[in-house]
Amino acid sequence: MSAALDGGPVLQVRGLTVRAERRTLLDRIDLDFPARSLTAVIGASGCGKTTFVRTLNRMVELTPGLTVSGSIRYHGQDIYDRGVDPVLVRRRIGMVFQRPTVFPMSVFENAAFGLRVAHEPEAEIDRSVTDALARAGLWDEVKDELDRPALALSGGQQQRLCIARALAVHPSVLLLDEPTSALDPIATQRVETTMRHLKEELVLILVTHNVGQAARVSDRVAFLSAGRLIEQGPTAEMLERPRDPLTQQFVSGRFA
Amino acid sequence: MTEPPDPATGTGPEPVPPPAAAPPARRGWLRSLGRAVPYLPAAAPAAIVVAVAITLLLASGFHNFGWDFFGLKFNSDQGVWGVGVLIVGSFLTAVPALVLSMLLGLGIAIASTTYLPRALARVLDPTVDLLAGIPSVVYGIWAFVAVAPWFGRVLNPWLASHLAFVPGFAANSISPSSEGVGLPIAIFVLTLMALPITTLLIRDALRSVPRDLWESGLALGATRWEVVRRVALRHGRRGVWSAAFLGFGRAIGETVAVAMVIGAVDKLPSNAYDSTWTMAAFMFQELDAAFGSSRYLELLAELGLVLLAITFAVNLIGRRLVAHLYAEEVAGL
Ligand SMILES: Nc1ncnc2c1ncn2[C@@H]1O[C@H](COP(=O)(O)OP(=O)(O)OP(=O)(O)O)[C@@H](O)[C@H]1O
Ligand SMILES: [Mg+2]
Repeated sequence: MSAALDGGPVLQVRGLTVRAERRTLLDRIDLDFPARSLTAVIGASGCGKTTFVRTLNRMVELTPGLTVSGSIRYHGQDIYDRGVDPVLVRRRIGMVFQRPTVFPMSVFENAAFGLRVAHEPEAEIDRSVTDALARAGLWDEVKDELDRPALALSGGQQQRLCIARALAVHPSVLLLDEPTSALDPIATQRVETTMRHLKEELVLILVTHNVGQAARVSDRVAFLSAGRLIEQGPTAEMLERPRDPLTQQFVSGRFA
Repeated sequence: MTEPPDPATGTGPEPVPPPAAAPPARRGWLRSLGRAVPYLPAAAPAAIVVAVAITLLLASGFHNFGWDFFGLKFNSDQGVWGVGVLIVGSFLTAVPALVLSMLLGLGIAIASTTYLPRALARVLDPTVDLLAGIPSVVYGIWAFVAVAPWFGRVLNPWLASHLAFVPGFAANSISPSSEGVGLPIAIFVLTLMALPITTLLIRDALRSVPRDLWESGLALGATRWEVVRRVALRHGRRGVWSAAFLGFGRAIGETVAVAMVIGAVDKLPSNAYDSTWTMAAFMFQELDAAFGSSRYLELLAELGLVLLAITFAVNLIGRRLVAHLYAEEVAGL
């Protein structure tokens, strides 16, 4: 009943399995991501959260030795199909990393990076950068210092710049892998506010080890344990009345 | 005023200082010298440079030559020694060699860090060290016997026909008797000899780019080439500049191999294929001739001083630039 109006989920994961040489990192995951939603992926350290989100934009292919099977459909198109260019996949499905990864260039050029490599016209770049900085909740803080090196910003500002940079190329899905784990509480709060605004327009998939954060920002929660999807559902249900004992244990342990 | 030993530090009683009225104690002076001993090794490199410069200066009798020393007229029979010819020769060989070895080094480093499968890179990367391990004299004799004839027969004429529009490159300027010896082969040898250092430093610079940064570029829909060009080389630009300055030092100081292929004539080259001489090769090759003449020996010493000054200046500029880039990145100037 929460399915998107335009028919079906934006991302549909079926039977997703990732194997390393000797072990299985992800085991037959089935998960849907509806439009305009924020799904929190939670689970203990090493359960495969990072590996999971990295399969969603084919970043996982940059790690040698991993094999991916199953299917990931983006608006019905399998992103692992042979004819699909990973570069184009990544323009539709953006990613923000655990630590801020600003480039050694100005604030403006950071935000413009994805547009420049896509050869967007200059006028379009100006417009998109301004818009993206505003949507990431950073515009008021940096509008007078767009030419300063991004490395001179605070950690929290850098992380929001990374979000802005990802937004500037107009993705419809944004993957966030523990985006606040390197930030202080106030910077974390700002990023969480940004995420709450963004989920009104795109699909957010947030990896977090922090159940409190999942409670504050997410609509849906997926709980992974040892590479398997144990349980998933609306946030309130998952956090207050989990069915699986593993989920119960994790959720209550993290709240305590 | 004597203080009791401080029990908190646990270092035991300090020696009692002499009364204020007493003349400065010799032992105090010795003691501070003693304290300096652990610092001395750190000062050794600076001391060596200063010692080399001063003793060379003393040996050079610099007052004998005056400003004519830097002139372009050179005729040892008449006792006219303007080493400007040699300085020009050194730059004419070192600068193009540096440019070529930087371009090649960038190519090799980018290929191995960005495109090559890891297993293959692990096999190919150490081969740069092999290149660095070949003695200069081997490069020299190889270039002279095996490569120079080919330069004379094939490469120089080819350059002449394709670059005829560039002053100094036209075909009529190739001397048929040169056997391929001259500027191009010297630049070629120097390029090979500077290549290991430029490649290694650029490769390290690219390797030091954090994985996250690479992946962030790719996650924004950039190709690997775009990430190298726009992000990795920028992130590693201090290393790239260091490569350039150290590579230049290598090229301008190289002696034996250049001496074997430069042609060793004390005149400015009249075209791009001509023979000339460099400071380093000249000092090496003229040492015999200088034994009869203390004045000639002084000239060589002064030339050594000039080469020292040039490498020192290049080094200094390089350091300043690299430090400036660092400040720019961090402080956001
Ligand atoms: N290339 C690889 N080869 C083999 N094993 C791997 C590889 N990459 C990751 N792993 C293993 O896969 C498991 C899942 O890793 P992953 O990084 O996805 O966990 P995570 O849930 O993100 O953990 P954390 O919360 O600590 O970030 C870990 O046990 C890890 O050791
Ligand atoms: Mg992780």
